[in-house]
Amino acid sequence: MFPMLTLLSMFYYICLRRRCRSGSRAESLGGRRALIDLGQRSTLPVTVEVEQYAKEVLDFSSHYGSENSMSYTMWNLAGVPNVYPSTGDFTQTAVFRTYGHWWDQCVSAPAPFHRTPPSFHSRDFLELAFEEQVYPTAVEVLETYHPGAIIQILACSLNPFTQNPPADVRWEVLWSGEPTKALSPQARQFSPTIRPISFPTNLLRLEVNGSMLDYYTELDAVVLRGVRERPILALYKMPMIDISDLSDGEEDLSETGGPLCCRTATADHKHNHGNGYFDKLPYELIQLIVSHLAVPDLCRLGQCCKLLQQHCSDPLQYVQLSLQPYWSRLSDAALTHLQPRCTLLQRLNMSWTGNRGAVTAAGFCSFIRACGMSLVCLQLSCCHFLNEMCLEVVCVTCPRLQELDLSSCDRLQPHAFTHITKLTHIRRLILYRTKIEQTAMLSILTFCAELRHLNLGSCVMIEDYDAVVSLVAARCRGLVSLDLWRCRNLSERGLAELVSGCAGLEELDLGWCSSLHSSSGCFQLLGRRLHRLRKLFLTANRTVCDSDLEQLATNCPALEHLDILGTRMVSPAALRRLLQACPRLRLLDVSFCSQIDARTVQELGSLFPNVSIKKSFTQ
Amino acid sequence: MLSVLSYGRIVARAVLGGLSQTDGRDYSLVTASCGFGKDFRKGILKKGMCYGDDACFIARHRSADVLGVADGVGGWRDYGVDPSQFSATLMRTCERLVKEGRFTPTSPVGILTSAYYELLQNKVPLLGSSTACIVVLDRRSHRIHTCNLGDSGFLVVRGGEVVHRSDEQQHYFNTPFQLSIAPPGAEGVVLSDSPDVADRSSFDVQLGDIILTATDGLFDNMPDYMILQELKKLKNTNYDSIQQTARSIAEQAHELAYDPNYMSPFAQFACDNGLNVRGGKPDDITVLLSIVAEYTD
Repeated sequence: MFPMLTLLSMFYYICLRRRCRSGSRAESLGGRRALIDLGQRSTLPVTVEVEQYAKEVLDFSSHYGSENSMSYTMWNLAGVPNVYPSTGDFTQTAVFRTYGHWWDQCVSAPAPFHRTPPSFHSRDFLELAFEEQVYPTAVEVLETYHPGAIIQILACSLNPFTQNPPADVRWEVLWSGEPTKALSPQARQFSPTIRPISFPTNLLRLEVNGSMLDYYTELDAVVLRGVRERPILALYKMPMIDISDLSDGEEDLSETGGPLCCRTATADHKHNHGNGYFDKLPYELIQLIVSHLAVPDLCRLGQCCKLLQQHCSDPLQYVQLSLQPYWSRLSDAALTHLQPRCTLLQRLNMSWTGNRGAVTAAGFCSFIRACGMSLVCLQLSCCHFLNEMCLEVVCVTCPRLQELDLSSCDRLQPHAFTHITKLTHIRRLILYRTKIEQTAMLSILTFCAELRHLNLGSCVMIEDYDAVVSLVAARCRGLVSLDLWRCRNLSERGLAELVSGCAGLEELDLGWCSSLHSSSGCFQLLGRRLHRLRKLFLTANRTVCDSDLEQLATNCPALEHLDILGTRMVSPAALRRLLQACPRLRLLDVSFCSQIDARTVQELGSLFPNVSIKKSFTQ
Repeated sequence: MLSVLSYGRIVARAVLGGLSQTDGRDYSLVTASCGFGKDFRKGILKKGMCYGDDACFIARHRSADVLGVADGVGGWRDYGVDPSQFSATLMRTCERLVKEGRFTPTSPVGILTSAYYELLQNKVPLLGSSTACIVVLDRRSHRIHTCNLGDSGFLVVRGGEVVHRSDEQQHYFNTPFQLSIAPPGAEGVVLSDSPDVADRSSFDVQLGDIILTATDGLFDNMPDYMILQELKKLKNTNYDSIQQTARSIAEQAHELAYDPNYMSPFAQFACDNGLNVRGGKPDDITVLLSIVAEYTD
């Protein structure tokens, strides 16, 4: 009897437990029925289209908002849309840091790289992860303000949530286009025709160029539509050979035999038969012809014959090297193969490259050690493979470095930045969105007195900006541009010292510095001291008033860009006086200025047709 | 050979384990809202959850149910600022923070601090001030965490009696603690309390507990015994009956507010402080009525 009772009670126990765990009975019945159905219809494939919103934003190059905020930041792209189909400048959208061509016109803009292929014009990017891997059939981007900036959509074979990432990571272009500007700033659903790809994906990358837009573009959500099973039709389609594919070298995406990994010629070769007409051309002429080729084409040309191989590996062809357009293909092996050619390297752009293990810190360090002696400019924006050792190697090997861009390298440890003190000749230093700390910054400023352009935008780990800025004023007297975007504890004391010490400042970005108050007279002092001022951003400083504009009008005739978004204290009359006094003004942002309404903007726009007056709206 | 006792233990454990399934269950708050604005401004269409200058929100997250009320300080109207904008934006921001999971259930003050920070990140120059009261139910731990800044508040009723209530925070008469964003230059003149000074509390709840969160429009017009009387009429935990009860409470408070002879709690308090006042207190009324129930998806 006891065993039976035990069995019965255990049976009862198990059944009850399972009952409360498995949900409703109807649901479980339904599940079984679906299985039966599938079994009956097993001859027909079930292609169910899966629609997903982005689960997580993994990486991006810039954004407008603050680092720990959900207003105007890239993280708003995850999840369902909050704003669409409304149009307007809302906090719940993802906004990039720049738009238009205004930042290119600034003195602080870096010189463009020779040999950038005309098909590459991405300025910003973002990477999104979705829950489930699918073969994409459509990608929809919900743009809610000034659409038209998306220029490329790519898909990755890697599942970012996997525990064991595979060795090979492939990126395929789903769609590619030119930067455009939609006719009106209205919200729209952007859904270009995408190419079918051969692998399932849940990692998308959007590349963006807002240079044609009138204002910041804002994105609300991204939808990925796809199927779980590989579309059967694709198996029967003839592979389309696109001419543009050949020039981009899609088939050269493999990691072992890329165009950047060129095979070295064998030492002993057959008797040289001569190079025909090529022998009649002077060496310098062939060099000149070859200098117009983009880097992958240069490598491919070098595989033709020994003469061209000699031309294409001449270090004089690799004085400026921009590897940013080829970010998806760059690897340690490619760097190793480029090494012998880059001994005269002076300007190197490796921004956006090497992520997800394609380039390792060790590979990068050995490349720099071999080729970095004459480096003058090094751009490493969003290079997440960098660590402290890399920076140390850079700063020791490249003592003559004048330009260093580490923007959005937010995984770089704070201690790594102390090595920059060795770069005593540095003139342009971009630390936007890095984790540099106060002590490192102060020691850099102590030793690097030749700074001309300094970008500390969104450097949230610096506690006391007054101390930093006062040291800038004391040490870097020749400073031309200073970006202090979102440096929230800068006060009038620091600003006063800055404008006294760096009277040659031409660009000053004090956007969202909320601790500056006009009543202290700091902006009036700024206007009086900085006669060469060309760009001034006082975005979202709610205290800017008419007397500040008076000082700017009187003392800053060279003013070209001015942003006074969000102040209630500026009147139309003061704006008119400013516009009259500053004939070179081209950009004026008066969005959310309560006293400046649309009619005033229209009037001023017609009186001063050369000025682009921006007035954003939420509804 | 197992002894009788061990058999008995197995049987007992099986039976008891099968019967009492509620311990591991998550809790949730079934909430209904109701309210009335002070003035009958029919022309102005506000987004849902705004009653006059009051605003409220109800948000669900995987780990917690959160609700809150905010009472916009009406004095801003004299300076050309719409007082409802601040409270409404604050509540909508809190709702968004909860939905996106940017909060810890044990720290409602964190929600308030983050929401206030986000208000300052808005391009639109917001002005105004409001009180705030936030109630968070942590599903797994069956605990309620609250924070209250100002004179809004909450009551917890169990078995017909009030077991928890919030304290009012006032600087002086009719001037509650408030979060504010002041126009430039007026920072010294305008009252601005930090979210840190909010009153916090945490306590366990049981199934069937009733939580009433409201602005001072309710508590100043309806004393506890009247509220408890209305709550007795609440029969079950379904949404419609909660909505009905919330509506009847709000309606009754609204009626009493305009009764010139009624000795309201507000009038009583004023008399205690030497002011000879009688009658209700016309004010915006917001009522959020919640019952603790089991979590169903």
